[in-house]
Amino acid sequence: MKEKGKRSIFGKLQRTPKWKKEEFSELEYEPTSVKELLTEMKDISELIIDLAYSAVLFDNKDVAEEVKFLEVRMDKLNYDIRMMAMMAARTKEDAEQLAGILQVAEAAESISNAAGDIISLLAEEKTGPILPKILKQADEQLFRIKISSAAMACEQKIGDLRVESETGMRIIAIRRGEYWIYNPPADTTLKADDWLVTRGNDEGYSDLSKFLKGKLKALE
Amino acid sequence: MKKKTVEDIVLEIKDKSELMVDLAYSSLIYDNKTIAKEVYDLEDLIDNLYHNIQKKTLEGVRNKDLSIDDALTVLRLAECSEKIADAALEIIDVELRDVELHPILKMSIRESDVVFTKVHVEPNSILCNKTLGKLKLGSETGMLIIAMRHHDKWLYGPNKNTMIDPGDILFAKGPEDGEKHLIELASGIANEI
Repeated sequence: MKEKGKRSIFGKLQRTPKWKKEEFSELEYEPTSVKELLTEMKDISELIIDLAYSAVLFDNKDVAEEVKFLEVRMDKLNYDIRMMAMMAARTKEDAEQLAGILQVAEAAESISNAAGDIISLLAEEKTGPILPKILKQADEQLFRIKISSAAMACEQKIGDLRVESETGMRIIAIRRGEYWIYNPPADTTLKADDWLVTRGNDEGYSDLSKFLKGKLKALE
Repeated sequence: MKKKTVEDIVLEIKDKSELMVDLAYSSLIYDNKTIAKEVYDLEDLIDNLYHNIQKKTLEGVRNKDLSIDDALTVLRLAECSEKIADAALEIIDVELRDVELHPILKMSIRESDVVFTKVHVEPNSILCNKTLGKLKLGSETGMLIIAMRHHDKWLYGPNKNTMIDPGDILFAKGPEDGEKHLIELASGIANEI
């Protein structure tokens, strides 16, 4: 796993702050590299879409809360990256190139706003089952799987199990009680009762869910 | 041909908009204007689909196939996907501009958790002359082929029936260990999927 900045929210176990609290907290200037900021923004832009669709698909308010938190976090990162970029510009050439970076950052933020709009569909009364019905027809789908205590996967690392290369299922987030791990890295240990949010096709899902429910001894 | 239902169109908009984001980020990594231009074409397609779905849902409401609530939900979802597509367009706009890309752009996208990779299929690779549906690269290596260059043509979002030929170039995304496996398969070093 690559070195990540101390501020990054990816790949570690954490309790998500309430998004409302986060939204109204003071912005504090913390020097961070533009590269680190942009990497995190790109990662959020991809994760947040999957989470937003899965919130709608499973009609799950908790996942929707995570999406709101990430959306707020994205606003902050966008603010930080603008400040850092302005301080970095010295010449006209610098400014031209940095403008490109800011545009990509802005696009990542637009994506997170779109994800916010998707979960607002959930908040309305009577969205009805039409969205889950539609989303279930996609080739690549989102699935939720709970790890049973009988599964061989308990106390094993994702990388050792080679989950993604064996089944094609990408684990996009893990929920452990009140804690979340986004984009869990290869050295994350799976535990009994973890909920995994995964993305992949039916075939991969059927293998992985059998394995995580303890019905299959190993992933082949 | 089977007529497309409202559901089919929403899904198509959703899938294509996600594909556009993937392609947009990879156009930056490879500093590749051809991929970037393709995102433009996909945007046209999405605009058409969006127009189409607005008409279809309204028709559905008139014919009482869809409730008003359902129709609204579908339209809103399509609108969100449309916004995502617009964001992808903003990204490739940076690539298509006549300004050299800042090196940090490439670096930060490379450092991300999901890797994009480009592989060249050698004549002795076992991938040759097989369809993607048969190879099941997605479930076997974890790598999803998002685009490929096939006989001087670009294919975006290839499907199960797409055949891989020697000399094709595949653009894929997935985990780091999958990348290595895919490179070995394409170059003929590994013979087992």
